[in-house]
Amino acid sequence: MVISKQTRSKIDAVIAKYPQARGALLPALHLVQDEYGHVSKECAVEIAEIFEIRPVEVMEVLTFYNLFFDSPQAKHHVYVCTNLPCSLRGARGLLRQLESQLGIKAPGETSDGRIFLGHEECLGACGYAPMMRVDGQYHEVLDIEKAKRILDSLGE
Amino acid sequence: MLETPYVTNYLTEHFGEEDYPTIEGYERVGGYRAARKALTEMSPDEVIELVKIAGLQGRGGAGFSTGMKWSFMPKDTDRPKYLVCNADESEPGSFKDRILLERGSHQMLEGILIAAWATGASTTFIYIRGEYAYPADQMERAIGEAYAKGYLGENVMGTGFRHDVRVTRGAGAYICGEETGLLESLEGKKGQPRKKPPFPAQYGAFGMPTTVNNVETFSHVPHIVEKGANWFRSFGTEKSPGTTVFGVSGHVVRPGLYELPLGTMLSEIVFEHAGGVPGGRKVKGVIPGGMSMSILPAGQLDVPMANEFLHERKTMLGTGGIIVMDETTCMVRVASVISYFFRDESCGQCTQCREGTGWINKIVDRIERGAGEEEDLEVLLDVAGKMEGQTICAFADAAAWPIQGLLRHFSDDFAEHVRQRKCPFAESFEL
Amino acid sequence: MPKITIDGTEIEASEGRTILQALDDAGLLMNGVDIPHYCWHPKLAVDGSCRLCQVEVEGIPKLQIACDTPVQDGMVVHTANDRVKAAREGVMELLLINHPLDCPICDQAGECKLQDYAYDYGVKASRSKEPRRALKKNVDLGPTIVFDQERCILCRRCVRFCREIPKTGELAVFNRGDYSVIETFPGTPLDNDYSMNVADICPVGALTTKDFRFKIRVWFLEEVAGICTGCSNGCNIHLGVANNKVYRYVPRRNDAVNDTWICDAGRMSYREIGAPDRLRECMVRDESGRLAPTGLDRAIEVAAGRLRRLIASKGAGVIAGLASAHATNEDLFTFRRFLSALGSETSGVAVVRGKADDLLIKEEKAPNGAGAREIGFGDARTVVDRISSGGIDALITLGHDALHESLLGSEKPLADLDTVIVLDTHASELQRVAHVIVPVRHAAEKLGTFVNVARRVQRVVPAVESAWETYADGEVLAKLGAALGLEGFDGSYDARQVARDLAAANPAFVGIDLDSVGDTGRLLAGSAASGAER
Repeated sequence: MVISKQTRSKIDAVIAKYPQARGALLPALHLVQDEYGHVSKECAVEIAEIFEIRPVEVMEVLTFYNLFFDSPQAKHHVYVCTNLPCSLRGARGLLRQLESQLGIKAPGETSDGRIFLGHEECLGACGYAPMMRVDGQYHEVLDIEKAKRILDSLGE
Repeated sequence: MLETPYVTNYLTEHFGEEDYPTIEGYERVGGYRAARKALTEMSPDEVIELVKIAGLQGRGGAGFSTGMKWSFMPKDTDRPKYLVCNADESEPGSFKDRILLERGSHQMLEGILIAAWATGASTTFIYIRGEYAYPADQMERAIGEAYAKGYLGENVMGTGFRHDVRVTRGAGAYICGEETGLLESLEGKKGQPRKKPPFPAQYGAFGMPTTVNNVETFSHVPHIVEKGANWFRSFGTEKSPGTTVFGVSGHVVRPGLYELPLGTMLSEIVFEHAGGVPGGRKVKGVIPGGMSMSILPAGQLDVPMANEFLHERKTMLGTGGIIVMDETTCMVRVASVISYFFRDESCGQCTQCREGTGWINKIVDRIERGAGEEEDLEVLLDVAGKMEGQTICAFADAAAWPIQGLLRHFSDDFAEHVRQRKCPFAESFEL
Repeated sequence: MPKITIDGTEIEASEGRTILQALDDAGLLMNGVDIPHYCWHPKLAVDGSCRLCQVEVEGIPKLQIACDTPVQDGMVVHTANDRVKAAREGVMELLLINHPLDCPICDQAGECKLQDYAYDYGVKASRSKEPRRALKKNVDLGPTIVFDQERCILCRRCVRFCREIPKTGELAVFNRGDYSVIETFPGTPLDNDYSMNVADICPVGALTTKDFRFKIRVWFLEEVAGICTGCSNGCNIHLGVANNKVYRYVPRRNDAVNDTWICDAGRMSYREIGAPDRLRECMVRDESGRLAPTGLDRAIEVAAGRLRRLIASKGAGVIAGLASAHATNEDLFTFRRFLSALGSETSGVAVVRGKADDLLIKEEKAPNGAGAREIGFGDARTVVDRISSGGIDALITLGHDALHESLLGSEKPLADLDTVIVLDTHASELQRVAHVIVPVRHAAEKLGTFVNVARRVQRVVPAVESAWETYADGEVLAKLGAALGLEGFDGSYDARQVARDLAAANPAFVGIDLDSVGDTGRLLAGSAASGAER
């Protein structure tokens, strides 16, 4: 078994909340990803067993959604929203600056695998642009100095 | 904490109060009185009738009558009935549901309770977009409080009515805001919209009769129940009553949220409330209702923000997300950003949508690079036309309309790119 | 029964059918009423995503997809007006913007629905100047199928097929939008008993069988209606024939038998026809004990001589006949008559049994066990038992199925027989004990009928002619009967006449002849028509 007992019991608890077990598939994928950072092939097989579906069905769900990953990820995820409202307020300029700061091209990760920098579609923060989502947390009304400080504060 | 709206009304009145998101804070200002009233003094039919008379329209984009929608739920059935709260807010330019979830959690829960009573639903699934981590946590907290107080669960407010609420987090797919795409996702599948019929009222979540309403739609309901249809109709227009929470973004002095009556002039929102364009620049165009709606050029901003007026200008209220663009803006770049988004978010089922979104994006990008030809503009319009009205859901329409709108009002921008073989807007936002 | 009007013609439909189904039921779809379609397949769940089958339904403002619009009495449908044509052209153009224009090297060319519809529904030169999607080519999906992601138009027929028919579900669409691709789970290839059907239902050249790809251009193939002989289901097939060679079997639709499917084993059984181990000449065992090639006349003469000698010394009771479930009813009826006229008392039909499923694959691994039994051949065990008890001196066997472990187990029990006469298509261990061997025709080479597991009489016609001399079993038996001077045998054999004789002699076959049986077969008299044979 790859999925830990704790995560497994959390999955079972979520399943109990749905009229059909399959309803808990997205929550289960979130839980597994919270634990491992991505959903590996082995995890997909186990999840398939839990939900009594085929691994390929887990994969088609996994690959449909942006927030799920099927391969190992960088330690920190930095996404700059580049949709229209944010772009109008300089989001792409900010992204370019962060690229040169980190010495990488988005989407891409630093050579040490520490930071992934990417762009993302609208995150519902249009009035507080530009913004970025760092490890799931929103940072809004950014300028480059503020954004750099946030990157600097990221742990190893 | 999110900034509270610049202009508030009944929905957002208390959003600045620190304890309002808690059940105590909510009840302190009269919260849950409406639900108690509905559950103890009104029959389900009376509630539906009231909401119909009030004329509440769905605030998720389509603007369908909420009371009508509720009345489609089968009455004599042994099957469990469900409500689904569409909190998958992903329409670019829209950020109102987020604050309604974070600050108005109990207001929305109260609306859900009343809707549940009216439709006989046993469970509500709140489907929150995966990126909204904090709003989801806050909703879980609020739901916990409501259970603890006996406002949810086996015996709601001692009436014997049973109702449960669950939160499901999405995982990053715009299409899950489409109600049947959402239902598929809720069932643990890819969020690919379903063919209709059957409609959700017959075959919805987990195959059961289901009504899907948007976050804001639910949030209006307690106010209607408490203060009546006439009171509700004192806001807004004859055909579009009530307020809505407009989100203003882009090139304005004060981007943010504004709760204003439907029918408020777009120009008033942009220039007075949001302070107009900074730096003395002029407006070039405004998208009035979230990115999938057609743009209006500067000369057409004297329009009341209600569907009956916006339809005349070939656009819609949508989610009330107003995106303002100043005179430096390159509309081909705008088209590029928009078409990239729709290409990225198409679920990929229907041919026109899967292929059309990609093709449009590629043509627009080529024009922006200076490699466009005159005939490309015709092809763009033609492809957009072929996507419209021919697919399982309205996503393809939503992808086509903004392109059609940009070409309708700003074809010169496109033509100039072709003529000069480069982007002529040196000061436009960076692409 | 709702009546609907399609392009001015009224048709009657069954309740609850969609427009496409109603047309399909009436035999009009793409055969009078052309509504092109990709994702819809008559035997798979409705997907409704390719949007090509849009039609105008009076009273409904938007165009409707014919695959998912239920018929209603009085419905008026237009399938070819300008609006519909424009929508169709739109879909076609969009499907083509990312489809590689590699028809000259694509194996599907000639039977490609994208090519056909592009031609039929007027797509002019592509207006797309954009680079096409670059995706994976030559993806090895499993033991039987190769996949070209770039050619795929994402109709998802293959995905639904695997989920709904073999229920193995190996395929899925990964990603979304125009990044969507069909994939398998790593380490779980497309590998099921029906996998190759995905190549048939793939409307384009995305899925091709490893077996057929690059063998021959399909427009060189003549499609001959026939029957798969792999088991007693008798799946209807087209034999793809060119230069007197069978290149492939593909399923031929017969809703009463196999819908539109065939199992992989059956499909691949075409290779038997030209197999190296086909028997190519008559052989008789000479004085030195070796089999030596000879002509048919000599083989008949030797066989007749040996039988005559035995009858004279021991009577015809020591002669047994083993029928084959691979032989046609006409062969078997001739054999039956031959054995009776001879006075043989021991006969049976050898049938090899194997794995069955609840879809198409049946236990009996031959097409005509039911026909043989209907014609009076009992269980081959009787023959085997009499041989082992020493009561038999001569055996006339059609085929070599009796060698199967469930019957003789090997040729050894026959080693002591005085005479073994073999009529067979392929070489076997019988060669070690046979005294006379006559090469006979494969089902693809002759005219006749089989009776399938559900008592449906189905016809095979000669699709190819072997390059060497072969004979129908019935023909050989007729000649042998004549050589032996048996009553009713003049040495001639005509399958059509034998079929008529069979119908006259056996009430089950009443009314059935080689014409009336048609391409889709007829049930034996007294059989309940049902879908149960599927």
